[in-house]
Amino acid sequence: MEHAMKFVQLIGSLDRKERPVDPISKPSGPGEDSGPKRPETDSPSRDNLMKRMKKVDPKQAEKYRQRTGE
Amino acid sequence: MSSIRLFGIETEYGIAREDTETADPVVESMELVRAYLDGHFTCRWDYRGEHPHEDQRGFRVTELAQDKEEDLFAEQDAHRPFSFHEMKSDLVLPNGARFYNDHTHPEYSTPECRTIKDIVAHDRAGERILWVAAQRRNEVLGGRVVQLYKNNTDFHGHSYGCHDNYLVPRAINFDNLVRGILPFLVSRQVIAGAGKVGREAQERGFTPGGFQLSQRADFMETELSVDTMHNRPILNTRDEPHATRERYRRLHLILGDANMCEYTTALKIGTTRVVLDMIAEGFVPSFDLASPVAAIQAISQDPDLKTVVKRQEGGTISGLDIQREYVEQARRVLTNIDEETQWILQEWELVIDQLQKDPLQLVGKIDWVTKRWLLESFVQDEGIGWDDPWLASLDLEYHNIDPERGLFCGLEVEGRATSISQEDDIQEAMKNGPLDTRAGLRGLCVQRFGEDINSIQWEGVHFNGKNGTLHLDLLDHLEPVSVAHCRAALEAAKTPLEMINSLAIQK
Repeated sequence: MEHAMKFVQLIGSLDRKERPVDPISKPSGPGEDSGPKRPETDSPSRDNLMKRMKKVDPKQAEKYRQRTGE
Repeated sequence: MSSIRLFGIETEYGIAREDTETADPVVESMELVRAYLDGHFTCRWDYRGEHPHEDQRGFRVTELAQDKEEDLFAEQDAHRPFSFHEMKSDLVLPNGARFYNDHTHPEYSTPECRTIKDIVAHDRAGERILWVAAQRRNEVLGGRVVQLYKNNTDFHGHSYGCHDNYLVPRAINFDNLVRGILPFLVSRQVIAGAGKVGREAQERGFTPGGFQLSQRADFMETELSVDTMHNRPILNTRDEPHATRERYRRLHLILGDANMCEYTTALKIGTTRVVLDMIAEGFVPSFDLASPVAAIQAISQDPDLKTVVKRQEGGTISGLDIQREYVEQARRVLTNIDEETQWILQEWELVIDQLQKDPLQLVGKIDWVTKRWLLESFVQDEGIGWDDPWLASLDLEYHNIDPERGLFCGLEVEGRATSISQEDDIQEAMKNGPLDTRAGLRGLCVQRFGEDINSIQWEGVHFNGKNGTLHLDLLDHLEPVSVAHCRAALEAAKTPLEMINSLAIQK
């Protein structure tokens, strides 16, 4: 459990780079600091995402089976 | 009419074992839930508050469409070496959430929240808790073989839900509630859809090709129904208030998608809460939709948002314009706009404008826009068509909560996802319920007197006492003042008996 919690804290601190938007105390004017800019079509981050996508098994959805839920 | 704000999200996760094709889904879901426990599982959930056959329209159905299937599952389950309670593995966590095995899906029901900031933090806390459970389960299995998906379909025609729930005064006439909210719900996917490649039909497979706004629209079959697994409705009529029945309803919405973007979750819950406030103020839309089920599917199937649907009074309207109509009316109808409502209205208007003018501004904020952008980039890079089966796999992987694999997780790593919660909020939500709702009290009971709990559910807690059980009734603890009094008694007491006695004296 301790190992798992440490990992969760680690990924949390590494992952969440975007500045938080506070829906209560800091209402901003429309469009002010409220989101990412238009995505760049060529950037290192896009390349990283593409690498992650290319690793996905093309047959993954075909193999994925669930029971009907609610 | 003033209304108490209280809402929560129930999310059924998809679960896969990658090292075997013969895993038993009941056992996998059960073991996953139990992996989160430090000790042995003891069943304490009290099922007496559940009434899935009661209908808000004032009657009780004798059977649900899923009853036959449930009976079949029960027959299969009877051959497993586990009791019903063992298979459900129903847990109440120290943050007041419920975590259990529902129909072979690990389900996380957030604690009841009063604010958008809290509900977003608790929805994210649910993902983290599921991920902790998966890691612990994988340690036992000896590899990273259990994967969890916060989505709503298996791309073979099997859907599972993400339900959002709202406490509503029963004084609001149910017909008025339906009329007031139905067009909003039909079009809510424009701002809250998680996006999906291809099309599906209930248990009749998957047709590749194209992209739609919603994971669930294909599975909506009727306007109103008490059913949840078959004949799914846009507005579920189950009458299970989990509060004083004479005073409250619970609006149980099953049409929504499981969202990855925090901003989408905030808008989904926030705008729905605003529309309920409008209805409480007497709002009636200026139009009805001629065919809501056809409309929800038609709107979903057009990510360019040009499709118009028929109004009962004549003429047509697009999903985006329905949303615009609601936000404009909200500005007129609502008399008391607090800071949170102001934020919701402002962001709602902004999103509608950006969807019309430049949807790519919403990458990292709105799920379906984000997923479409990712897939479109991939289609261009790989030179494949939209009917390539690889895209369904990528769609699935968008929802994988494994931080090293999930595509949305990848966006977060790259700093492209807008956060509503700070990391500290999520960490806190994993441990404690909201301070201002009864969920925080429930969680505190688990933290302080867990060993003494005999049974527990949304409406109250029974403790073992020397002369029978002691009951903490949570039905009446809906207002923050009442919650604060009860919390003070809970924190000061050394035993459940002392707490109950203290509350009795306060009364």
